[in-house]
Amino acid sequence: MSHGSIIKVPFGPQHPALKEPENFLLEVDGETVVDVKPRLGYNHRGMEKAFELKTYIQNIYLAERICGICSDAHTTCYTQAIEELLGVEPPPRARYIRVIIAELERIQSHTLWVGLAAHEIGFSTLFMYVWRDRETVLDMFEMISGNRIHYAMNTIGGVRRDIRGDIVSKIVKGLDFLEQRLEYYLDTVQTEQTILKRAAGVGILRPKDAVSLCAVGPTLRASGIRNDVRSDDPYVAYDEIPFNVVAHDGCDVLSRMLVRCEETLESIKIIRYALDSMPDGIIVVKVPKKIPRGEVVSRVEAPRGELIHYAKSNGTAKPERYKVRSPTLANIPALCKMLRGGYVADIPIVLAGIDPCFSCMDRMAFVDIRKNEKWVWTMQQLRRKYTKG
Amino acid sequence: MGLDYAAVEKEVHKRMTTETIASLLSILVFPGAIFLLALAFFYEWVDRKFFARLQNRYGPLHTGPHGILQPIADFLKLLSKEDISPHASDRLVLTLAPIFYVALPLSTLFVIPILSYASLIRFEGDLIFVLFMFTLVTITVFLAGWSSTSRFSTIGSVRATLQMLGYEIPMGLVAVGPAIAAGSLSISRIVEWQSLRFWLVLLQPLGFAILTVCLLAELQFVPFDIPEAETEIVAGWRTEFTGRKLALLRLGKDLELVLASALMASLYLGGSQHFWLIPPIAIFLMKTTFVVMLLSLLRSAFARFRIDQMLSGMWKYLLPLATLQIILIQLGFGG
Amino acid sequence: MAFIREALKQLFRRPATLKYPYEKMTLPKDFRGRPIWDMGKCIGCGLCYNVCPSGAIEMIGRGLEAGINHYVDRCMFCGQCVEVCPENAIRMSEEYELADFDRSKMLHEYRRIVK
Repeated sequence: MSHGSIIKVPFGPQHPALKEPENFLLEVDGETVVDVKPRLGYNHRGMEKAFELKTYIQNIYLAERICGICSDAHTTCYTQAIEELLGVEPPPRARYIRVIIAELERIQSHTLWVGLAAHEIGFSTLFMYVWRDRETVLDMFEMISGNRIHYAMNTIGGVRRDIRGDIVSKIVKGLDFLEQRLEYYLDTVQTEQTILKRAAGVGILRPKDAVSLCAVGPTLRASGIRNDVRSDDPYVAYDEIPFNVVAHDGCDVLSRMLVRCEETLESIKIIRYALDSMPDGIIVVKVPKKIPRGEVVSRVEAPRGELIHYAKSNGTAKPERYKVRSPTLANIPALCKMLRGGYVADIPIVLAGIDPCFSCMDRMAFVDIRKNEKWVWTMQQLRRKYTKG
Repeated sequence: MGLDYAAVEKEVHKRMTTETIASLLSILVFPGAIFLLALAFFYEWVDRKFFARLQNRYGPLHTGPHGILQPIADFLKLLSKEDISPHASDRLVLTLAPIFYVALPLSTLFVIPILSYASLIRFEGDLIFVLFMFTLVTITVFLAGWSSTSRFSTIGSVRATLQMLGYEIPMGLVAVGPAIAAGSLSISRIVEWQSLRFWLVLLQPLGFAILTVCLLAELQFVPFDIPEAETEIVAGWRTEFTGRKLALLRLGKDLELVLASALMASLYLGGSQHFWLIPPIAIFLMKTTFVVMLLSLLRSAFARFRIDQMLSGMWKYLLPLATLQIILIQLGFGG
Repeated sequence: MAFIREALKQLFRRPATLKYPYEKMTLPKDFRGRPIWDMGKCIGCGLCYNVCPSGAIEMIGRGLEAGINHYVDRCMFCGQCVEVCPENAIRMSEEYELADFDRSKMLHEYRRIVK
């Protein structure tokens, strides 16, 4: 291989394919990618430090703003963690409402992703159609919570607003419409020749690589491995609601598309079940301001994968230490593996395939290594792995 | 009795001056340069509006009635922006490339019949001249990207030349199909032949389809907008162009669109012909608008190909089909 | 080809774009717009000031003569102040077009009229 013909193409931090800044230095030989060096941290905002300076109630809103698309996953994880420290259980109705909001958010996030993936391969018409239909979900959120993004439904001890009366019938109507549209998009993705040409066989991640590189979420499930926090470690009301874990064996971007589309249809079924069998009762319990001493790890299945929050409290009204490990960080090593050996033209779609949310991810600039956890990667470890050889 | 040489000379002189002024006016104003530039802006509007409607949105809306002045507004805005060139770029080529990109399609349009079946400039072989100008445009694209010396421009310009290797031959073959049917390589004669018999699209539908695909590739429309793939290489060969140069590049692209649609309308749809009492130019405009809308529809319905998929598709499918079309014509099935 | 049919169908539908600002969305009930204080009910306890995550609320004094300053450019419209107020003196209005060129318009002052 002649090194003289290798061009180093910087991908990011500003690039039309990236919705958020991140830098990948790609070594390219003609149209083939030879090596990838990720450089993370452009979106580092000092969130973990900010958590230590605010009270537990104020931190709900800080946690929400870690990410705009998966905001509810972060608040669910946070409130779960603090409720665990307090030894408080949210009332049953609140748990069902949390499920409904979480699944609606999953629909919102996955439809956003389908539109974005279509845009990355140049299919702007599909992008427009999907985002037009996504407006139904956002309008539902506005009706339920008063805002389209950052719904702020969760609070420590339960939820802040109820879902009653004609809101329920409007949600059901919206879900019927969405189901019909999503089935059409699922069909389109599987039959449109140009999409199949760009997505099938692209960005391969073998199952054993997926497991050894600790991929999470739809990226992992598209390689055939049925891992889902909602069924492995049920939280809120998932132990009472039957649902299927969607997985495909294709290991390529097309499988990831199919997994996400089918998960959206699953979410619609979960919401319908939850609306039908929602128990009556109060929606929030009162909690004290000071949280007793303790450490807790809480995890949820965010739309992008497994999200982990760690909280340490020292008995005062403010946390001592808070740590967030978001799913995109776990998918970055898998991403680097997928990009090597592929074409330059495939970089945007493969990158979009892991559904990157760099705002969630950039927490790893300065971090304590937790030695027992295999999937925590520090900046130093990532650099060491990818800059040698 | 001899000839009054002085009077004859004066008469000839007078005729020549009026004729010169008439031809200058037709070349510069109507149906020449200014008319063609206005047509370029108009077709950009048609393309954007139709494309937007297919995507269930409005398109240009507020500048002028139904946004018809939007392309002119965009052009004027770009003219007023700062013109930055990269330090390492080849300034001369960088400045000349947009000028050529505008001049080439504009001058080629004189060969297409607009007012009637005689174009402003016609000669035997002007069809080959048009195909040659298309190639020159692609070479200009290559030079524009290469002289910019930025990573993205280099990749974009190389992709443009690779793409040309794919569609050149099928395009040449099917463009010559109507010429074989009409027995002449002059576009004006082809249009005349069609007005006496049938539109060639009815006799050579395969050629029409293949020419549409090749023109999509020539114009760098989706699914063949690989050289300027926005999400992959920023703007491809256009990345380092700003201000006036970018304004000229966009104008050049619109003129190319007019040229491609006018060519297709003339070769296959009968071009500028008489129909009842409607002036031929209105017929010509209707047909060309139909072709522009067809190209917009195709542009909206597909994703982008990868360069290797495009090349293999062109050589594996399009070239054999184009050859088949020529064989069919020779066997008498295409007029 | 099925997609082309779908694309052509869109030509006969009304575009999905809202021609803002000539057409505006109808807001649902309980929309979280700018919070408005009712100084007739406010008792100046300072709970809203303590709970605001972004520090958008300022108390001028305490008790029954207190005044409130609300900075709309800091407010994140979370509604926590509404929830925590013991007298229900705060409500979220429907105003969302709050952007302006003038920084001073971002400050909303609430004072009592002392007779």
